[in-house]
Amino acid sequence: MTTAKSSGSVAKKLRQIAWVFDLNKCIGCQTCSVACKVLWTRDEGEQHQWWMSVNTMPGLGTPKNWQEMGGGIDPETGKPRPGHQPTREEFGGGFDFNYDEVFYGGTAGKAHLEPQGPRENRWAMNWDEDQGAGEWPNSYYFYLPRMCNHCTNAVCVDACPTGALQKRPDDGLVLRDEEICMGDRFCMEACPYKKISFNYERHVAQQCIGCFPRIEAGVAPACVRQCPGRAVFVGYLDDEEGPVHRLVEEWGIALPLLAEAGTGPNVYYVPPLAPSRLNEDMSIDYDTPRIPPEYLESLFGPAVHGALAKLKGEMETVRNGGSSEMLKTLIAYKWKELLGPFTVDPAELTPNGNGVGA
Amino acid sequence: MKVANVQAGHDLADPRAATWTSIAHESVSLAPVPLRNQPNEYIRTKWADRPYGETPSASVAAASDGERIYLLLEWEDDPRPNGEFQDGAAVLFSSGNSDGLATLGTPTSPMTLWYWEDRRPAPLVLQSSGPGVFRKQGNGNLAAQAGLRDGRWSVVLSGPAAIPPDAKVGVAVWNGTNEERAGLAAVSREWLPLELS
Repeated sequence: MTTAKSSGSVAKKLRQIAWVFDLNKCIGCQTCSVACKVLWTRDEGEQHQWWMSVNTMPGLGTPKNWQEMGGGIDPETGKPRPGHQPTREEFGGGFDFNYDEVFYGGTAGKAHLEPQGPRENRWAMNWDEDQGAGEWPNSYYFYLPRMCNHCTNAVCVDACPTGALQKRPDDGLVLRDEEICMGDRFCMEACPYKKISFNYERHVAQQCIGCFPRIEAGVAPACVRQCPGRAVFVGYLDDEEGPVHRLVEEWGIALPLLAEAGTGPNVYYVPPLAPSRLNEDMSIDYDTPRIPPEYLESLFGPAVHGALAKLKGEMETVRNGGSSEMLKTLIAYKWKELLGPFTVDPAELTPNGNGVGA
Repeated sequence: MKVANVQAGHDLADPRAATWTSIAHESVSLAPVPLRNQPNEYIRTKWADRPYGETPSASVAAASDGERIYLLLEWEDDPRPNGEFQDGAAVLFSSGNSDGLATLGTPTSPMTLWYWEDRRPAPLVLQSSGPGVFRKQGNGNLAAQAGLRDGRWSVVLSGPAAIPPDAKVGVAVWNGTNEERAGLAAVSREWLPLELS
């Protein structure tokens, strides 16, 4: 926790909410994606937006080929790295469907629901889901939930000429004032994760808001609360007794994605262990995981090898009858342990009761 | 620039109205907002080696029926197709202080923009304190009609005629094909005094 002075006031403590996704537990069910969409991206111009998305890795993801779109900070110069603003086509999705034809067209089941418009270059949020990489029997993939990282060095905030984007000191969430946003989209270029979308109807950029109205009412973000696999934790990074701090700082097994982009992301990942490779004679090569370690290093940095080794070690300890605080934390026997201090049940909120409207 | 007096019942909201041909047009030379004045390092880095604001000139004509003032802006369109960004233009009104025309205002001398952008549903009043340092002030009872013909944009921006007698205007143009927006604009080199009848 650090402090910041605001003029004429007592030094304000800077706090940061962070997320940890355990990629060993994520099954790519997209409940988090849909939980977010149902809450936040159903209005005009938001049809194609997925503030939370789960991509199959390796894969092109969303927007298509986002990892090649630049942005972030150049590690050699320390200057902002020019980036590409993803186009509507590169995000894809937001399809119009032929509902009338299928349900009322009298085609006796011959017509089926399909996206309208040209098929060429069609893309959507999880278009390459489950494709992965590798050759049978050693093909491999894992799921990577992605959202705004509410970065410590938020380049989107720096790139915005109007000041519409600000990082809150109380919780580190990066939020946008849509009354100020002019839709300039430098933020979309600057973000190395390409998790900012554009609303072509209202002419504003939009991204994950950290479910801040829920946070302010003590309710966990929807993506965390709805996850059926208990795969995601939320909490303050400086809460030394909380799982987020322990996984990130104490045990060091929750790692940032593409840390070399220089923005200091606050969404962390426990890297995925992989099944062992099969040899040509179908014997098991226990020493070689199917997910190439160098691929994981390209995403999570060189610390990924130590994190995976630690994870394996703790699992071995438990298999041999020992105990592991780290594994107990990851298993999350008690669901509320995933939620940090945000354990209020939204069903118990009343209009004007907990300060939250209906 | 003389603001022509017109009677009610005119059709000057339409840039194609024949009435405009009888109203004096002024040609305004434009120049890019300087790169060094762009408001943050990201924009200065991204556009360091990329030209912008190269629309060389625009023409302006003005008329008023006493209730509303009508400003016709015309300029050559970039013939290449637009991608993610659309063409835009603005009439700039000085706050009395003549500083900051080249940078679309300054923090101490903000200016008011009547801003039009292709495909935005309505024009906006913006307060501008620098290149792209805009604050939306609502629609301000503005209206706009635009047309693109023979490679030339014609846009009529109209608004309340409550203009001070020593008013000066400038013009800014954004080439959407070149992804120009915010402070990446071509802006008039000099203020144009409005001569109200």
